[in-house]
Amino acid sequence: MAHHDDDQPMTGRRAVLKALTLAPAAAAGASAGMFGSIDVKTGRPIMTRAAAQDGERVKMAFIQWMPHTVPNAWSQGIAEVLGTQNVIDYELLDGQGKVEVQVSLMDTLINDGTSVIFLQPIDSVALAPSIAKAKREGIAVITLNIDATEPHAAHVEMNHYYGAMEIARVMGEKMGGAGKVAILNAPPGIIIRDQRTNGFVEGMAKHHPGIEIVADQVADWDRKKAQDVLNTILAATPDLGGVYGVNDSMALGAVDVAKEKGLLGKMVIFGNDGEKDALASIEASELTGTQYTDVFQQGRFAAAAATVLATGLVSADAFGQQGRVLMPYLIATADNVGQIQPNQRW
Amino acid sequence: MPSLSSRLTLPVFFLAVLAIFCLIAPNFASAGNFENLMAGYAFIGILAIGQSFPILLRGIDLSVGAILALVGMCIFDLSLMFGVPGWAILPLALLVGTLAGVVNGLMVTVLRLSPFIATLASLAAYRGLVYAISGRQLVPELSTKPITDRWITGFETYFDLTRVLGLKGVVKLPWVPLSFLILLGTLLVFHVLLAHTRFGRDLYAIGGNPEAARLAGIKVGRLTVAAYAISGLCAAIAAILLVARLTTSTEGLGEGIELTAIAAAVIGGFSLTGGTGRLLGSVIGTFLLGIVLIGLTQMGISPFVQQILTGLILLVAVGNDRLQTLRADRQRARALGEVPA
Repeated sequence: MAHHDDDQPMTGRRAVLKALTLAPAAAAGASAGMFGSIDVKTGRPIMTRAAAQDGERVKMAFIQWMPHTVPNAWSQGIAEVLGTQNVIDYELLDGQGKVEVQVSLMDTLINDGTSVIFLQPIDSVALAPSIAKAKREGIAVITLNIDATEPHAAHVEMNHYYGAMEIARVMGEKMGGAGKVAILNAPPGIIIRDQRTNGFVEGMAKHHPGIEIVADQVADWDRKKAQDVLNTILAATPDLGGVYGVNDSMALGAVDVAKEKGLLGKMVIFGNDGEKDALASIEASELTGTQYTDVFQQGRFAAAAATVLATGLVSADAFGQQGRVLMPYLIATADNVGQIQPNQRW
Repeated sequence: MPSLSSRLTLPVFFLAVLAIFCLIAPNFASAGNFENLMAGYAFIGILAIGQSFPILLRGIDLSVGAILALVGMCIFDLSLMFGVPGWAILPLALLVGTLAGVVNGLMVTVLRLSPFIATLASLAAYRGLVYAISGRQLVPELSTKPITDRWITGFETYFDLTRVLGLKGVVKLPWVPLSFLILLGTLLVFHVLLAHTRFGRDLYAIGGNPEAARLAGIKVGRLTVAAYAISGLCAAIAAILLVARLTTSTEGLGEGIELTAIAAAVIGGFSLTGGTGRLLGSVIGTFLLGIVLIGLTQMGISPFVQQILTGLILLVAVGNDRLQTLRADRQRARALGEVPA
């Protein structure tokens, strides 16, 4: 368990292994009252809406931002843990990339007797009223990757900021501490975009002040768009030495361009997320590296906490403080990508 | 004028779907669910009302989602960046939306662009403008600050219908959101405008045959601009309700919602060939889509299947519209003696 402010970056296999140990820790923390509270008069835990009446099935749902490899892998991790409980009905819902759809789905789940809602909020403020409404109904909300301004049961996120700083450090080393870099970015208005960008920019300034960031262009998280954007950047800056895509899809788009223009091996390209296509590209000596997070494990952490909240007689409506899990990560390069096991690839 | 049976088709279908979900979807027939339905779809209903006007004139407004976002971001900026009080923001918001609609209308009438191209261009332009003026980008720390001005957040108010009707202890009725009452008010005003004024009759005439309307002395250009202005105004009203619900605005607000509004209007009986349709139909079409989506979600049906079913409903509505048009054409031909009876 770590708080964002005081967490330090971890590298190497140790970080991945540590991730594997944290799921039970999350559950233990939850059961110890981290995510809940005790009735001071009776000394007994305050029950959630669902807390387990005998024989009753418990509903849980995950409202994703939109279909993508990351929420799909979260959902697999969540389903894996919840599936062992035998009393939990779980469903994955599509927010269609729209806050108004996510709000409507939250309302539907609240009315439908759901016990725990996993949420990947599109916006931290816009979903806050819905989270407050869920809390009033005794429903635990666990956010993934993007936090909400309304305190809730727990938040489990990738280490966007420090991971991006670490990408900058490793990338700068691969570039020999000098040269020009372009960022292929997400559209504005998303917190993780800012964390992944600011971490990278500040990491470069801190570790490699000799490297110049010459372009920061929006490529919509998209591989094809990234190809077009990078071609334009290369026309203006033919001596570009490095590309950072704030997700792997855009970094792989940069790899496509590098292949086409014969720049593979001459240009350092990093992504972020660690999806299996990116790992395969690193193994093929195309992509230089990426920040890998075990997203299955991230889902398992969230599900472990949810299970305790829903069936462990822990309150969802009287939280002293919001639980927070910051995922360990690995800066995967050709040197260490082999450490990531097939069942950890998503 | 459509026959009584064709006018009753949609309400009967709506009630049938409602009854089916009440029977088969768990927790569907509950006060809380109807409250969610009213709160979640009121602003879409208002967008559908606005969208009905360009469709009535054989046009379309693809920019309503972008106008909604533009107005939403203006509210955000004025409230959080400049500290303008809500009572002053509200008329400005309505003005921005209306002006955006007027620009659309002028592109269609003055520049003689097809409505599809004109509003596709303004969709991109307005959305770009939203990013350009976004207070969330200009002052990043505002992106995690909610709007708290009661003049704006007050639109997210609910009324206890059970208590108002003195039925406490007898039955539990849904709390009625203010946004739903505003939808009913908007419907009433524009229904009267469309069905009982010269303005409305002229719009139907233009939609039926623009050239004949022009020859009859109707100011086609001016009324076309007015139709797009109404669409923009409705998008502004929807934006106010949505910002009140979310306590913020985002650059992506309302993205793709124009398709839902168009679908609702078409399902509600507005023909894409113009000249027919009633605003009540657009509102019923909106809530029909809402019922289907909520009901299927509660039944645990995959969201992808939900989208397929929504598409099928739209297809049936368009098919029905086409059948009605063909039938009307055949009757007209028979009346003229061109086709044997």
